[in-house]
Amino acid sequence: MKILIADDSRVMRQIVIRTLRQAGHGGHDIVEAENGRQALEMVQSEAPDLVLSDWNMPEMNGIDCLSALRASGSQVAFGFVTSEGSEEMRERAASAGAAFLIAKPFTPEAFDDALRSVI
Amino acid sequence: MSAVLPEVEVPESGDVLAVTEDVWMALLGDDAMLVPRAVPPGTPFDATAWSAATTISGGWQGVVTVELDEALARRLTTRMLALPADEEASDSDVADAVGELVNMVGGNVKSLMPGPSVLSLPAVAAGRAAFASDSALACRLDLVWQDAPVRVSVHVPQEGPR
Repeated sequence: MKILIADDSRVMRQIVIRTLRQAGHGGHDIVEAENGRQALEMVQSEAPDLVLSDWNMPEMNGIDCLSALRASGSQVAFGFVTSEGSEEMRERAASAGAAFLIAKPFTPEAFDDALRSVI
Repeated sequence: MSAVLPEVEVPESGDVLAVTEDVWMALLGDDAMLVPRAVPPGTPFDATAWSAATTISGGWQGVVTVELDEALARRLTTRMLALPADEEASDSDVADAVGELVNMVGGNVKSLMPGPSVLSLPAVAAGRAAFASDSALACRLDLVWQDAPVRVSVHVPQEGPR
């Protein structure tokens, strides 16, 4: 499957890719976006099967990106990877149409559990 | 620095330490632990440093700051990027890594406090942290990791006349 990773931190994109591999999901085609606006465009141009997105990003944050995707009719599977794992943020994510929220810091097991819900 | 007024809710230092330890272990592994360092109150951070801050605003307001020894900031970046041992991290990579560190600590501190609140993007500096004169120190952790000093601080707005 093709996975789009959206995070303004190059370090965190690398950690997410490495953790996917450690979680046994290393064979996927990975594309990267630096913010929500770029992710929104790349969902159109790259047609990923899953978006793994940070919440806080410049240009467009993750929740606005998800809302714009759903408003445009896209039903791409979308999960957050964010330092904000409170119940309030999880509820906001779910009501906007996210399949899961992985809180930073995370483990490979958290990735495996989340990805198995959408693969 | 003035004391925080009692009505301002502040995070427990034990909770901030637990959050910091979780982030540290996830990023750097558990082969070396963070240990407390005795530093008298009011002492500025005493190392050549990188610093990063993130602001929480809304239902709870505060600023979370992480200050790191220069060599530790570079080691952290090397570990986070999984760079080969002979490869030096660039300054922009160090800024990215230190910013991500405060984002994780700050995001988890935000989850401890009343909401709803918004977490800002991290601001990173090569050098010691700057603190607003109208803020009051609510919590400070002085720690050591592999002989290198680390400081995590939480400041809250100071109430009353300015």
